[in-house]
Amino acid sequence: MKKYKFLLIALFALTVLLGTTGCEKYIDSINENKSLTGATDYSISSNMILPLIGTYSEFNNTEWENFPLIAVRGDDVNAGGLGDQQDYAETDNFNYNKDYWMYNSLFQNYYTNMFSANSSIEQVELYLEAGANQAIGSQYIGEIKVLKAWWLFNLSRMWGSLPIPTKSSPSELFVAPLSTKDEIMQMISDMMDEAIPVLPAVRPNERTDIPGGVTKYTALAMKALANLELKNYPVVAEATGEIINSGKFILESDYYELFKIKGKLNNENLLEMQYSDLGQGSGDNFAYLFAFFGPQGWTPAVAGSGDGWGFFEPSLKYIKFMLNRGEVTRLETSVLFTDRGIAELKTDPNFANLPAWISNTTRSGDVFNDYARALFASGKHYLPSDQLTPGRTDYGTNKNFTCIRYAEILLMYAEALTQGAPGTAGTADDAVNALRIRAGLSPLTGVTNDQVMDEKFAELAMEWGTRFYDMVRLGRLNELSYEGRSFSADKAFLPYPQNQVDLIPILGN
Amino acid sequence: MSKHLPLKHAAALLRSMLLLLLAFSGSMVFGQGRTLTGTVTDLGTNESMPGATILIKGTSKGVSTDLDGKFSLMVLPDENTLVVSFVGYETTEVTIGNQTVINVGLVPSKTSLEEVVVVGYGSVKVKDLTSSITTVKSEELMKTTSSTPLQALQGKVAGLQIVTNGSPGDSPTVRVRGVGSFPGRDNESPLYVVDGMFFDNIDFLNPSDIVSMSVLKDASAAAIFGVRAANGVVLIESKSGAYNKKPQITYNGYTGYQVAQNVVKMANAQQFSIMALESGSPADETFILNAMQRYGRSRVNPNVPDMNTDWYGEILRPAAISSHSLDVEGGTEKAKYSLGANYFFQDGILKMKNEYERLNLRSRVDLKATDWMTIGGSMILSNATKFNDAANVWNDVYYAVPIMPVYDELNKEATPKNYANAQNLGYRSGQNPFPSMENNIDRMKIKKLLADFYAEFNLIPKTLTFKTTYSHNYSSIDQRVVNLPWFAGDGFQNPDATITRTLSLYNNQFWDNILTFNKKMGDHDLTVMGGTSFKDEGFLVLSAQGKNFPTDMEQSWYLDQSLNILAESVYDGGLRQYGMSYFGRLAYSFNNRYLFYGTLRRDGSNKYQEKWGTFPTIGLGWVISEEDFLKGNDIVPFLKLRASWGQLGNDRIQASDGAYTSSVASTTLGGIVYSGIVVSNSYADLEWELTEETNLGLTARMIKDKLSVDFDYYIRDTKNAAIPVNIPGTGGSVLRSVGVIRNSGLELALGWTNQINDKLSYNVNANVSTLKNEVRDLYGQLYLDGGTAEFRQRSYVGDPLMAFFGREVAGVYQNQAEIDADPIAVANGLVPGDFKYVDQNKDGVMDDDDRVLLGSYFPNLMYGGSLGINYMNFDFSTSFYGQSGNKILNRKRGELIWVPDGNVDADLATNRWHGDGTSNKYPSSSGLRRGWNQKMSDYFVEDGSFFRIQNIQLGYTIRNSKWLGGNFPVTRLYFTAERPLSLFKYNGFTPEVANGWDSQAYPVAAIYTFGLNVKF
Repeated sequence: MKKYKFLLIALFALTVLLGTTGCEKYIDSINENKSLTGATDYSISSNMILPLIGTYSEFNNTEWENFPLIAVRGDDVNAGGLGDQQDYAETDNFNYNKDYWMYNSLFQNYYTNMFSANSSIEQVELYLEAGANQAIGSQYIGEIKVLKAWWLFNLSRMWGSLPIPTKSSPSELFVAPLSTKDEIMQMISDMMDEAIPVLPAVRPNERTDIPGGVTKYTALAMKALANLELKNYPVVAEATGEIINSGKFILESDYYELFKIKGKLNNENLLEMQYSDLGQGSGDNFAYLFAFFGPQGWTPAVAGSGDGWGFFEPSLKYIKFMLNRGEVTRLETSVLFTDRGIAELKTDPNFANLPAWISNTTRSGDVFNDYARALFASGKHYLPSDQLTPGRTDYGTNKNFTCIRYAEILLMYAEALTQGAPGTAGTADDAVNALRIRAGLSPLTGVTNDQVMDEKFAELAMEWGTRFYDMVRLGRLNELSYEGRSFSADKAFLPYPQNQVDLIPILGN
Repeated sequence: MSKHLPLKHAAALLRSMLLLLLAFSGSMVFGQGRTLTGTVTDLGTNESMPGATILIKGTSKGVSTDLDGKFSLMVLPDENTLVVSFVGYETTEVTIGNQTVINVGLVPSKTSLEEVVVVGYGSVKVKDLTSSITTVKSEELMKTTSSTPLQALQGKVAGLQIVTNGSPGDSPTVRVRGVGSFPGRDNESPLYVVDGMFFDNIDFLNPSDIVSMSVLKDASAAAIFGVRAANGVVLIESKSGAYNKKPQITYNGYTGYQVAQNVVKMANAQQFSIMALESGSPADETFILNAMQRYGRSRVNPNVPDMNTDWYGEILRPAAISSHSLDVEGGTEKAKYSLGANYFFQDGILKMKNEYERLNLRSRVDLKATDWMTIGGSMILSNATKFNDAANVWNDVYYAVPIMPVYDELNKEATPKNYANAQNLGYRSGQNPFPSMENNIDRMKIKKLLADFYAEFNLIPKTLTFKTTYSHNYSSIDQRVVNLPWFAGDGFQNPDATITRTLSLYNNQFWDNILTFNKKMGDHDLTVMGGTSFKDEGFLVLSAQGKNFPTDMEQSWYLDQSLNILAESVYDGGLRQYGMSYFGRLAYSFNNRYLFYGTLRRDGSNKYQEKWGTFPTIGLGWVISEEDFLKGNDIVPFLKLRASWGQLGNDRIQASDGAYTSSVASTTLGGIVYSGIVVSNSYADLEWELTEETNLGLTARMIKDKLSVDFDYYIRDTKNAAIPVNIPGTGGSVLRSVGVIRNSGLELALGWTNQINDKLSYNVNANVSTLKNEVRDLYGQLYLDGGTAEFRQRSYVGDPLMAFFGREVAGVYQNQAEIDADPIAVANGLVPGDFKYVDQNKDGVMDDDDRVLLGSYFPNLMYGGSLGINYMNFDFSTSFYGQSGNKILNRKRGELIWVPDGNVDADLATNRWHGDGTSNKYPSSSGLRRGWNQKMSDYFVEDGSFFRIQNIQLGYTIRNSKWLGGNFPVTRLYFTAERPLSLFKYNGFTPEVANGWDSQAYPVAAIYTFGLNVKF
C-alpha cells in the first residue's frame, strides 16, 4: 500500500516536471508589439533605385551649418552675424577652436553621408546579385560615388588627412589608416575614372529618371577639382576640356537670374542641391535654410516675406576689388548693400563716389535696411521676395543651391592652361572671355594665370570657399591676410573636432 | 503510523517531540520538590511563547511551554537556576530562589545560528550559509512609519543603499552593492521575490503583511534567480500562521503628522531687492520699482517692496499619516492560517491634492490534507489611490520672487482665483506655482492581486519532497491626469482643460516545481534541490488625451466628454515575455565543519536573440570553531570563513533592434517628390548583462554569543554592461553589451545583545560599508558623456560612473589689481566678483581642457546602527544612518542660468561677493548672470554627506491587568519619531537625491506618530 502511494506521487511529480518542459516552446515566440523589418526582397529590380534616391536625398537634405563653415575663410566673405556664434567668426579670423560644435557637426554630417552612400552601394550590389540589370546598377553605383566624392573632397580640403570610409559600418574608423589630402584627392580622381564610363553622357537637366542627377560630366568635374588640388594641371585640362568639347553646357546669359528661380536645373549647372515647394503656397516644402544668409530686417517688395540671421557678409576687399574692375553685373548679383555698408565703403577716399546704381534696394524692390550684424548680405543666396511662391514666406525658399557650374569648368580649364597644361578645347582666352562678355566686360587677350585667378575671384565669390582654397593652393597667403586677419600656412586646415579625436584614435596621433 | 510532515516543519516537529519527551521524563523521574509555574513571553512583542524550553541548569531536566506560553515544573531545593531558550531568541538564565511564579521575557536574537533563512526555493540554517544574506524581521520593519517596508531597510543592511523618496506612496531607490548597469535606463533596481513571485517594485505591500525581508547580496546567494539577479535580490515572506497555536488577534495602528525638515531658506524681499539692484541689469531694477508701485514700499526699508512671500512656507503644510492593521493568526494540528487587513493613509506635505491611500487584505492557509500532502494558498489584495505631486513645483518655487504674493487682488482678470502673476511686475515668467498646484490633479488607482496555490508531497518522509506552486499577479494602474483651465495673464495661463488617461495592465503567472532531497548520514548532511520554473509576463498599456470637457464636476472628467481626442495622443502598446528556467542546488556539510554550496540556473527567454544563459555559483565555508583546537572555547564559540563566486544576469536590458535599419527619405528632383530609402548599419547588439561576483566573508559569535560579527569583502564585475557606444564620424551612439563596470567594497556588521537581568536587556547593532564604483572598460572609449551640455557628467575609465565634470573654482577675483595680474582674467574680460578657475593644464588659457572630475554621486561610505533597551514594561529603541563621500549637483542654483531674474537661496544671497573681501566662495549678483560664472564647476557640486537619526521609539506595555472583571489585553502604547534629525551641509531640502542632481527632489519629512498595539 505504502509503496504504491509513493510510486503514484513520484509518477505525478515526474509528469509535472516533464510537463513544464513543454512550456519551453514559448521561448521561441516572437516579441509582442514589434514590427519585424522582414528581409528586403532584392529580386524586385525596380526597387534598386530606392537606395540611389536615398543618397540624393541625403545630398539635398544637407544641414545648414555645412556650407557656412566650408565657405567662410576666404577673402571674399566674412562671417557676419556679429554677437552670435563667436567661434564661427573666430574661424573666419583663422583662430580655430577644436571644441566648437560646428566643426564636429560638419565632420559628422559628411561622414554620415559617406557611410550612408557606402550602404547604398552595398544595397545596389545586393540587387545586382539578385539579377538586376548590370548596366543600370553600375550607373547607380557610379552616381553614388560622385556624390560621395563631393563630400570627401570638401572634408579633405577642410581637414587635410582623414580616414577614408570604404564600408557601411562606421566602426571601421576605429582601425582605418589616415590618408593624406593628396592621397584622398588621387583616390577621388581614380574613383571618378571608375564612374565616368558607366554614367550617361548627358547634361544633368537632360536626365529624365533622376532630373538634375549626376552624369558623366559631373564626374569629370569632380576629377578636375581633385586634380586641381593636386596641381595636376594636364589632367585638369583634359577633364575640363572633355566637358567643354561635349558642347552640352551653355552659360546662362542672365548672370543675376542664374542664382534665382531661373537657375534651377539651368543648362550651366553640373551639380546642384535641389529644393521645391511643389508650386504650392502651403503644404510640403523641401527647402534649404537660406535664412542663414538673409538680412536681419528688410522691407521686402512682397510684404510678409521673412528675413534672415544676418550671417555671411561679402568682404569690403571683394567689393572694392569689383568696383576697381568696373564690374556691375557680377557685383550686383553677389553683394546686397545696406546704407550702413555704403557709408562704410565711402569712408575710403578711393570710394567716396560710388556708381549710382549702388543702393540698398534691389532691382526687385526689396529694401535691405541697416542691421547690426553685417554691412552687406550675399546676393547669390538671395531670392527676391517677388519670386517666392505666393503663400511662402521663408527667406530664399524654393531656390536651389548650386555646387558646380560650367563657369568654374571654364576657369579651371583656363587656369590649367596658364599653368602650362596643353589644351584641347580652345584657348584660355576663349574660356575667360566667355565669362567676361557675359559680365559685360571687355575681352582679354593673352590672359595670364593672375588674370585667371582674378576672374575666378570675381566670378565664384561666396561659392564653396573656392577663393580660399585657390589662394592656399597657390601659396598666395598674403591675399588671405586682409582686414586685420593674419593667415599663415599652418592655418590651412582646421583642427580635428575634439569629439572625434576622442573617438577615432588615429586622429589624436 | 508515524507522521510524515513536510521537510519545512520537520525541524519544528523534531523539537516538539524532544521537548515532550523531556517533559514526560521530567515528571516521571523527579516526583518530589515544589511546583514552579510561569509564562514565557517575547519581550519585543509581548506575545506568549508556546514551545519554549525550560531546563534546570546543569541537568537534562526540563519542560516546554504550552499553547499559552505557560509552564509548570517540579524543582528540588538544590536546583537554583532555570535556563530558558527558544529558537531565534537569546537563551536566558533566571535564578529560582524561593519564588514559585517566574515569568520570563525572551529577547529576539537576530544572530541566532540555528535560525533558518530563506534562500530562494528553499531555506538554509544561518550557520550553514556560505553567502552574504541579511534578514530584517517584522519587528524592525514595523518600527518605521512608512507606506513601504523598503524604507525600514535604510541603515539596517550593510551594502544596501536606500534613497528615500518623499512623495507619498513612492518607493525609494534601492541599490544593492552599488550600480552595475549604466545609469539612466531604469534597469538598476533589484529583484523582489514575494513568496516566490517576481516583482520590480513592492509598493503594494504593507510592512504589516511581511514576516521578513532577506537581502541576498552576493552572487552565491542570488544566482539561483539567474538572469534577474544581477542587481541583487530581496526575498519577502508574507505572514503565515503556526500549527498548534491559539488564535491571536492583533491590532496595531499609529497616527501622527509629518513635518518638512531642513527647509531651504530663500532670500527674503530685502535680500532679493539688494541682489537685483546689484545685478547690473536695469530690467531687474525696474521690476523692484514695479513691485513697489504695485504693493507699496516697506515701512522698515523704503527701498524694498512691501511684500515678502516665503514661498516654501506657502506651499508646505503639516500632513497627516496613519496606519491601522488587524491580524489574526493561529493554527490547529492540521491547519494554520493568517488573515490580515491594513489601511494606510498619508497626506503629502505639498499643499495640493497629493496623498496616498491604500487598503490591503491578505490571507494564507496551509493545510496538512493527508500525511503525505500539504496544500496551501495565499492572496494579497492591494487597492490604492495615489495623487501625485506636481514635481515641477519644487523647482519653480525656488525661483519665485519674494516680492510677489500668492494671490493678488489687483490681478482682477485671473480665474478661478486672483493668482498673482510675476509678469505683471515685468518678469519673463509668471512664477506663481499655485495655479498649477490647484488646477492639476494627477490621480492613480493602483490595484494589485497576488495569489498563489501550492501542493507539497512527501515522497520519502523527511527526505524527499516535491512541491508545485502556481502564482499569479494581476495589477492594474488607472492614471488620470487632469489640467483644469486657469488664467493669470496672457502669457501665464492654461486655456484648455486637458485629460490624459493611461491604463496599464500587468498579468504575470509563474509555475514552479521543486524536488528537494535531504539526508543526514553520520557526519554527512546533504541537501539537493532541483526545479523548473515557467514564467509568462504580459503587459498592456492604453492611453489617450482629450481636450475641453465639462470641468465643474469630477464625474464628467472623461475622454468621452471631451470635445476632441487628440489622435496622435492615442497609444496602445504592450509586451509579452516568456521564461523557462531549470535550476538546482547542492548543499553539503561535513561534520558541521566544512560547507559546500552550489547552485546552477539555466534561463531561457524570448527577449533576446541569444535565448539561453547559464548562471553558476559555488560557495565554500569552513567552520573553524568546530575544529578541535577551537572547539568548546567560550570566547569565540562560533567562527566561520566563507568564500563564494558566482555569475548573475540582468535581463532588464532592452532587446536588440535588429541588423540594418532603413528609413524612408524623400526629396525633390526636378520639382517632383521622390522617395527612397536610407540604410544605416549601426545597430544595437544587445544581450543580458552578465555580472560576476566574488565574496569573501567571516561570521563569528563571540563572548557567549553576545557579540555577532559579519564581515564581507566583494568584487562585483558587470562583464558586458550595455553602454552607449559613440559612433565615430557620424555622431550618435548605439547601445552595445560591451562595457565593464566594477563595484567593490567592505561590509561589517556587529551586533551585541545582553540580558542583564529579567528586568533589563539591551541590544546594540552597527554596520558600516564601503563602496568603490569604477568603470573598467568602455569598449576602447576613453569616456562617455552624460548629464547635459550645461551640467556635464562623465564616466571615465578608472573612475565612477557619471561623475560630475567641470571646472574647479579657485576663488573669486576680489579687486581690479587681481584681475590685471591674471592673463586669463584679462583675456576673458573679467571683473571683480567673477570666479577664478583653476588652470588645470597650466596653458594660460581657460577652456574645456581645464575640466576635471568633481566627484561622484555614489557614497563611498555608509553606516548605520541601532540601540534597543527594554526595562520592565518600557522599551526604547533608536537607529541612525549616515553616508559620506557623495556629491550632489545643486541644479536649483545651476538652473539660474535659464532663470536669471529669479530668486536665490538665502545662503547665496548673504554670502555673495559684493566688494573686496566679502566672499571667496560665491560670485557677485551680476556675476551670477554672466556666462563665465555659469560654466559647470564645483560651485554647483556640493558635499552630499549626511547623518540622520532614523527612528526613535518609546513604548510602554500594559500586561496582566484586569479590566471589567476580565483580562485586559496586552497593550502597548508607543511614540515614534521617524527621521527627526538630519545633519548635512548641502544647500537643499534633502541630501537624498537618487541620481545625484537635485532640481525637484521631494523633501523628506520628519514623522511624529502615536501608536497602539493590542493583542487579544
